[in-house]
Amino acid sequence: MKVNIVSLTCCAGCVSSFLNAGDAFLEILSQDFDIVYSPTFVDLKEVPEVDLAIVEGGVRTEADEKLIREVRAKCKTLVALGICATHGGITSLGNITSVKRLMEKEHFILDSSNLPELEDLMYPICNFVDVDYYIPGCPPMPLLIVHSLKSIVSGKQPLRHQSVVCTECHRKIIVAKLDRLYGIYEKEADPNLCLVSQGFVCLGSLTREGCGAPCPRANFTCFGCRGPTDSLLYRSRDLYTFLVKVISRRTSIPEDDVRKELYRNPFIFHTFIFSKFERSKARERVI
Amino acid sequence: MSGQKEITISPTTRIEGHGKVTIILDDAGNVSDAYFYATEIRGFDYFLRGMEADRLPFIISRICGVCSTAHILASVKTIESIYGTEITETARKLRELLLMGQTISNQSLVFFFLTLPDFWFSSEEDPSKRNAFQIMRENPETGKKAITLRSFATKILDVIGKREVHIVSVIPGGLINPLKEREREELLKAAENACAITREAVALGKELFEKNWADFRKAGDYRTYYMALTKDDALEFYDGKIRVIKPDGDTFSEFSPQDYMEHVEERHYEWTYAKFACLKALGCPEGTVQVGPTARMNVNKRATTELANKELTEFKRKFGSPAYATLLFDYARLIDLTYACERARELLEDASITKTDTRVRVKPKEGRGVGVVEAPRGTLAHDYVLARSGRLKHMRLIIPTQVNSSAINLNVKDAAMEFIKHGEVKPGLLNRIEMVVRAYDPCIKCATRRVGESLQVEIRNSRGELLKVL
Repeated sequence: MKVNIVSLTCCAGCVSSFLNAGDAFLEILSQDFDIVYSPTFVDLKEVPEVDLAIVEGGVRTEADEKLIREVRAKCKTLVALGICATHGGITSLGNITSVKRLMEKEHFILDSSNLPELEDLMYPICNFVDVDYYIPGCPPMPLLIVHSLKSIVSGKQPLRHQSVVCTECHRKIIVAKLDRLYGIYEKEADPNLCLVSQGFVCLGSLTREGCGAPCPRANFTCFGCRGPTDSLLYRSRDLYTFLVKVISRRTSIPEDDVRKELYRNPFIFHTFIFSKFERSKARERVI
Repeated sequence: MSGQKEITISPTTRIEGHGKVTIILDDAGNVSDAYFYATEIRGFDYFLRGMEADRLPFIISRICGVCSTAHILASVKTIESIYGTEITETARKLRELLLMGQTISNQSLVFFFLTLPDFWFSSEEDPSKRNAFQIMRENPETGKKAITLRSFATKILDVIGKREVHIVSVIPGGLINPLKEREREELLKAAENACAITREAVALGKELFEKNWADFRKAGDYRTYYMALTKDDALEFYDGKIRVIKPDGDTFSEFSPQDYMEHVEERHYEWTYAKFACLKALGCPEGTVQVGPTARMNVNKRATTELANKELTEFKRKFGSPAYATLLFDYARLIDLTYACERARELLEDASITKTDTRVRVKPKEGRGVGVVEAPRGTLAHDYVLARSGRLKHMRLIIPTQVNSSAINLNVKDAAMEFIKHGEVKPGLLNRIEMVVRAYDPCIKCATRRVGESLQVEIRNSRGELLKVL
């Protein structure tokens, strides 16, 4: 199968993660994939017609937009790899203010005749083209990528992960009596209790499973890099209210206090609310 | 004269991230200037303002998925310098081990996947075959070794950092999780294997390098300043002082990482989204300074591990000290790799690395601090100002690729002058530009906190009109 690997605006962590699959990567390379276009690894200059295109990164400039349209037109199946491609990712934090205006004010005068124009916002690729499969994650775990791609290559529907990270986290949920929330560096977490029950703002209860919960297992909060679950995507539930209820229930802190604390820090939700993700298009396609 | 004819050959491949080159011709059609620059920006420096300090390290790592661990370590060191936190010896060892993992993963990626194809295949080889995947097809054993070596690095990041890309266990005050004895034993076993593979990689690299050396030495030979971390004159990645040496090898200055911003300044140009960096005392372009593998070999007199020290001595004997040729970056990168594997093994042999005192409590404070590590591509500095609320007020990052940009431009201009005369472009220009740019392993994502359009070469006349795109 001929494959293109394309990077738009991103950190390249998703393709690194694919490479990190090690032997499984070698196997897919020797048995299934003929990677014909990948500027990071291969010297081909033009985007060729292929069966499968794997795209990491989102659309921040007009050059990205032009490239993703060309890539879509030249492939049969398109896989969006990682949260930047699927939802907009970390760069969407730039949607809070106008990065372009800030730059002009503080950075330097740009001679734009030579540089591609910035889009007004950071967009996931589904705003411009049809996406066949979404594999969110920052980055997605190596085996998740390999298993999903293996299924796609053999014409099977990849296993979809529809539940929340909590199902992959072994911690025990209790109703605690706390008087405030804690930053992750403020105290040591008990390795056996739910992080929310200990007053940490863990997003596991909103976030799609499939990663194996590596962050909570490391005593670190889930920060939602797999994006919202099916139920949050399709039932238009208010994420803030949902999380406020979960935290309040597990900590016994009044909902109003939790709400105030969460509103104080919009960065907590970067993978959820700043992106321009078109959820109606993603139905049944998020892996 | 080629007039308005346009040829497009893009993207330039096998570098991490993408950039663009513009070559400006004078009225006679000869090269008057050449720039290597970046075409896009993500804006981390702007949108992170107001972020709480305790979320900074793991968000900032998203600047670069290839060298995320180096960014996280620089970030926590910066925050700790503001808070006045002293981490434990155990935490320091674990962090150094993580940094060795980072170095191995990057340098092995660059050697096996990005630059090896240049040495492995002749320049007449079909370009569609000149890549690592073809090497793996022709010689699966080499592919297997490349992957095994990288897996060792990934394993370090996974076992200690708890994720392979964008690790989570490193926080201000130390690490969340200690290393277990069983994990140490497993990693140590893998380290032995990695050291053996590295020895073969070095032998292979040296053999291919020597075969091509006559050509390589012509491709850029600049006498610039060099900068790297050093500890008692030895190769160092996590601690130590910063030393700058003059083009003749004498020490120009030596200072504490905290004073980094007093010695290096940024300069912006209207034609690029990236900012350049050079020595403040001399300004641009006189203060052009290089960081990275060759700079580390030039600044340091020795390495603390056996084989790396042997290779370093041989490097100095063969190429002089300082060594100047641009493509020596590729050679020096293998010495980095040797050191990182040996040092990782050394750290893992020490059973005290499994002690559980990996974390001290931090006392948040306002103020300004700088954190420096030696990232695979060179000296990486983060500089934050934190407000009393614990939020980020201001941030400045100086990334190796920004520092090297000036030198990359000199190389590009040189290649352009060699290949363009009276408006005629000789074949081979693109290949030469790609090779010198690739030697620096530039990370444009980092330099601009972005990744963008692929590398293009543009030729413009003195009025700025576009003549050619390569």
